[in-house]
Amino acid sequence: MARRHLAVLTAAALGASSALAHHSPVMFDQTQRVTLTGTVREFQWTNPHSYIQLVVKNDQGQDEEWSLEMAAPTYLYNRGWRPSSVKAGDALTVTIAPLRKGGRGGLLLGAANNDGKPIGTPAPPTP
Amino acid sequence: MRRVVPLTVALALCACTQRPPADPRVEQFAALPSWTGIWVADGLEPGIDGFSLSRTPAFLVVNPDIPWNEATTAKIQAELAVNPDLQIPPADGWGYPLMMDGAPPLQFLITPEETLIFNTYRDLRHVYTDGRMHPPAGDLWPTTWGNSVGRWEGDTLVIDTVAVREPNKYFGIVAWFSDQAHYTERLRRVAPDRIEGEMTVEDPATLSRPWVAKLNYKRADGWDRLIHDGYDNDRTGFDGDYYTIEPSADAPPPAP
Repeated sequence: MARRHLAVLTAAALGASSALAHHSPVMFDQTQRVTLTGTVREFQWTNPHSYIQLVVKNDQGQDEEWSLEMAAPTYLYNRGWRPSSVKAGDALTVTIAPLRKGGRGGLLLGAANNDGKPIGTPAPPTP
Repeated sequence: MRRVVPLTVALALCACTQRPPADPRVEQFAALPSWTGIWVADGLEPGIDGFSLSRTPAFLVVNPDIPWNEATTAKIQAELAVNPDLQIPPADGWGYPLMMDGAPPLQFLITPEETLIFNTYRDLRHVYTDGRMHPPAGDLWPTTWGNSVGRWEGDTLVIDTVAVREPNKYFGIVAWFSDQAHYTERLRRVAPDRIEGEMTVEDPATLSRPWVAKLNYKRADGWDRLIHDGYDNDRTGFDGDYYTIEPSADAPPPAP
């Protein structure tokens, strides 16, 4: 009974499809999706995570910089991303799971360039 | 002149057919299996977010199949009571046994004396196959990757691992095995693109019975040189409740 209780707790806490990497994914609200369109200031091809710094206009027309976290470069490479895939000045539309507590940041789930072409290769289908 | 040419050809042919004595080292390598390539655990090939896997890795504390004993179950429940989201401190690797069923792909370098198993995070195991035993208990101390000796049973690599420091001390959400846990792996390349096997964990200090986890890998071709160099851009912060993203070090100052 105790083990069953633990299983319920942990399943609720982490989710069957979640994993872990450098840190827990709990900081991102993966039940939410936010779409942003903006201009790349910088693509940080770095460890332990990569980041896209995306400048997005807010409702008042002011520029705001978002920090969009991605996997480490080795995983991005496997998905067809390269250090040259995104450059400063590129227009991007991205989908993110936002930070759970708000703020201009999130976990990048997909990105497309100005003509709508996705960057990288899609993930393989779930078995 | 017509006589010289056939003689030269004959000498050349003779030289070609005289093989050097066999190098026993070459023969030792030739007798071993080859597991070249990069191998990804089934269902654990992440997307660009680094998190979206199709199943939970076997060696996470959250795996409900692990037969924890009552005392360990109570400890885990106590941790969940104060840390219900199971937030964990950032780690700079995966450690053992998680590296054997994790997102980072593996490589196996097989030599007569040892097999090296390593991943993109530079978790590295030396599996000695030169016939040695584990050092005496008094000369062993627990480490993140433990002490491994192995042997070949046909084309199956059997690995015996002890002295693994409590894995959750290295990466907080890994199974709460003790320093006394005994790990036995059996791995075999069953097809050109597939390695299959299992790991048995015996740990009376934390488990109610031995537990067997499947270890299955597919050969993958999308990866580069498994470079994971430097941790020079760790922007993970903590806001008092959750980990968060710190601003970029070179971000322009906010508008007044």
